[in-house]
Amino acid sequence: MRATVKGRVAIFYPQGFLDGNNASSFLSIDDIRATEALNIDMLLVSLKKVIFFNKNGLDVFIKLLISIRNQKRISIGLCDYDSLKFKTINAFYGNNLNFSLFRTEKIAELFTPSNKSDSKTVLLYNDDLSQRSAMAIELFDYGHNPVIAQSKKEFDEKKQHPDLYYTIIEDTYLGLFGQKIATRVTGNVIIYTVANFLDAEITNTFNIAYHNNSLNVGFRLFIFDAYKVISMNVHALNFFTKLASSAAEYNATICFVGLTFEKTPQIFKNDLEDAGILFFDNMDDILKNKELLQELGGSVATASKQTRTLNKALVNELPRFIDATISTIAMMTNAKASKESMNIQTLEITDTTNQYASSIGFYGDVDGMIIIIFPKAIAKKACELLIGEATDDEETILDSLAEFVNIIGGRAKALLGEQKHRVDITLPRTYGDVVSLMEMAQNKKGVQVNLSFEGSHFIFFLTR
Amino acid sequence: MVTNEEIAHYIHSIPPAPTIIQETIQFVRNGDLVKAAKCADEDPALKLYLRTLVNRAVYGFRNEVHDVSQIFGILGISTAQQVLYHYLMTLLAPKKWKLFHLDNHTFYDLQASLSRNWGKILHHLGVLDHDTASAITLLPASIIICDALFGSHKSEVEQLRSVKALDYNTILSRLSGQSLFDLSSQIAEKWEIPSTISRIVHAASGLDRDLSENEHVLAQWMHLLLFFELSKGLYVQAGLNEFIDFQIDFVSDIYESFVQVMEYNESNR
Repeated sequence: MRATVKGRVAIFYPQGFLDGNNASSFLSIDDIRATEALNIDMLLVSLKKVIFFNKNGLDVFIKLLISIRNQKRISIGLCDYDSLKFKTINAFYGNNLNFSLFRTEKIAELFTPSNKSDSKTVLLYNDDLSQRSAMAIELFDYGHNPVIAQSKKEFDEKKQHPDLYYTIIEDTYLGLFGQKIATRVTGNVIIYTVANFLDAEITNTFNIAYHNNSLNVGFRLFIFDAYKVISMNVHALNFFTKLASSAAEYNATICFVGLTFEKTPQIFKNDLEDAGILFFDNMDDILKNKELLQELGGSVATASKQTRTLNKALVNELPRFIDATISTIAMMTNAKASKESMNIQTLEITDTTNQYASSIGFYGDVDGMIIIIFPKAIAKKACELLIGEATDDEETILDSLAEFVNIIGGRAKALLGEQKHRVDITLPRTYGDVVSLMEMAQNKKGVQVNLSFEGSHFIFFLTR
Repeated sequence: MVTNEEIAHYIHSIPPAPTIIQETIQFVRNGDLVKAAKCADEDPALKLYLRTLVNRAVYGFRNEVHDVSQIFGILGISTAQQVLYHYLMTLLAPKKWKLFHLDNHTFYDLQASLSRNWGKILHHLGVLDHDTASAITLLPASIIICDALFGSHKSEVEQLRSVKALDYNTILSRLSGQSLFDLSSQIAEKWEIPSTISRIVHAASGLDRDLSENEHVLAQWMHLLLFFELSKGLYVQAGLNEFIDFQIDFVSDIYESFVQVMEYNESNR
């Protein structure tokens, strides 16, 4: 059984009965290797379709999860269960519960970084005060707005109005959490929350893959929320200096907010400033100052002062990227898309109304970005297989479009792999309108391929 | 991916049930096992299948059984009818499985185990009619169809499933408007299998509405039985655990009775 990956969360979905006699059959050696190779922040086992499980059955999965957590320092746990199953799991593991429990996938996703900048308001309650606080801090650090009920009575009252909340968090447990630095997105800014003592451990807790992904998909401003930092040592200093150097290659900016130098040597600040890192007292000094934000690259329109040009290596692989796109559309719709024209140019969209767009970056032996712009109706048609039922809900359609572009990225990766080119793909980004896409892509030169599908036109754009 | 043309071609390529099998089934349905055995004796492939099947460990006979009339005598009307439908299924089964990691012996074991456990369920429910007993034999048709249709699209399905946990039945329904169970019903019709049988099997997808109370109960038990079997290590390894979507809410109210009937010892596993 292979895990399904959504964003940076991978989930196994066993069905039926899960016991000591059959559980190991769900995970072949190939499955384990494939799971170990995933670039994720969280690995879960869904119990949604499991009618019976026992500890022997769960232990087989938990053993794999713990082994991967030890290698990659990701969060692991179980999800998709009801209150009865939650009690059963707690009874099985008692005080030895060293993995997380999320009542739903939706709750689990709140505790991982994403490319989205939408802050969710959630209702939170847990009998255990330390769990309640840990969850609230994590949720806040991931950019959400937890409404914390202080008592069961208050929780039950608030629960009567579920429409006020994105989700209600109960029957949830955070086990060995906080292994990675929490990340949130605000507009076009990535914010990392760091705390306590910053030392050599930061190389393990900082999610460098996510950071590189973000650079590759066009984020240019990275802020370290350092209000809770007590001090840093020379290892952390070296880490941040190197991070600043690599960001400079992308013309990106790194800032620290709220960092005090009472217990950190003042000379460290000078070294960090020399590396190009900026310091601010308050988050709002940046986020509320539009001009500064633009200057720092937090408004993507100005991020491309130094555009990276197309190179021969990328253009040579163009047919494979187009193949990946056309074959994915054929796979998802059983209809054929055909190429109409192809030019090297900046992105040009004649009709900017009623369009969705999505992008995915890749890096490794070749690097660049695929952008696809669809008329809304065609996007819906292309994602019908993923969506299932007719819907006009924009979030659902954009989520499916991200999954769709992820498949294109996966196919392109496989096709490049056949040519012995090793690449990794980033998280996909989606755009509900073309304006926000153009802010990011307007100065970029690339190959624009106009394609036709069922009488409508859509655009494939390959750039760096 | 799978197109409506491919589906139509596949259904069209399935030949009608051989005359000897149809006649044998008819004799069994009429309760004439002697004539049925005589008829079955004329088909060497059927004879070999009956001998091989009946002498497999799941039937638990101490001595090898050779004679067809002896086989039918041992099996009785209901089981003989089931075994003949099983044989029809094997005619549909591929020589080499492409999607699932199955061989024909493992598939026969699945058929036999489904039948045996279905018998226990019907005994528990007090259902005695032969057609209902035979309904279980059509259930694996959906596995065969799935392998036939998706076998050449394995890598595409893997890519799709890497981003979304979709089962084969859902993928097929969304692509073509037809489910694996719709196609099973079409094959049943082609083979002149009574519609009472195909209705129960169709409902075993757990997705049908407008069922009679009796059909609903049988569909619940059949759906849970299917996942009971597909949770066994051998079938999990074969990839069968993921082939349709388990409708856990559909069966939750019969779970306790089910584990008792199956003698599934929760604490000893």
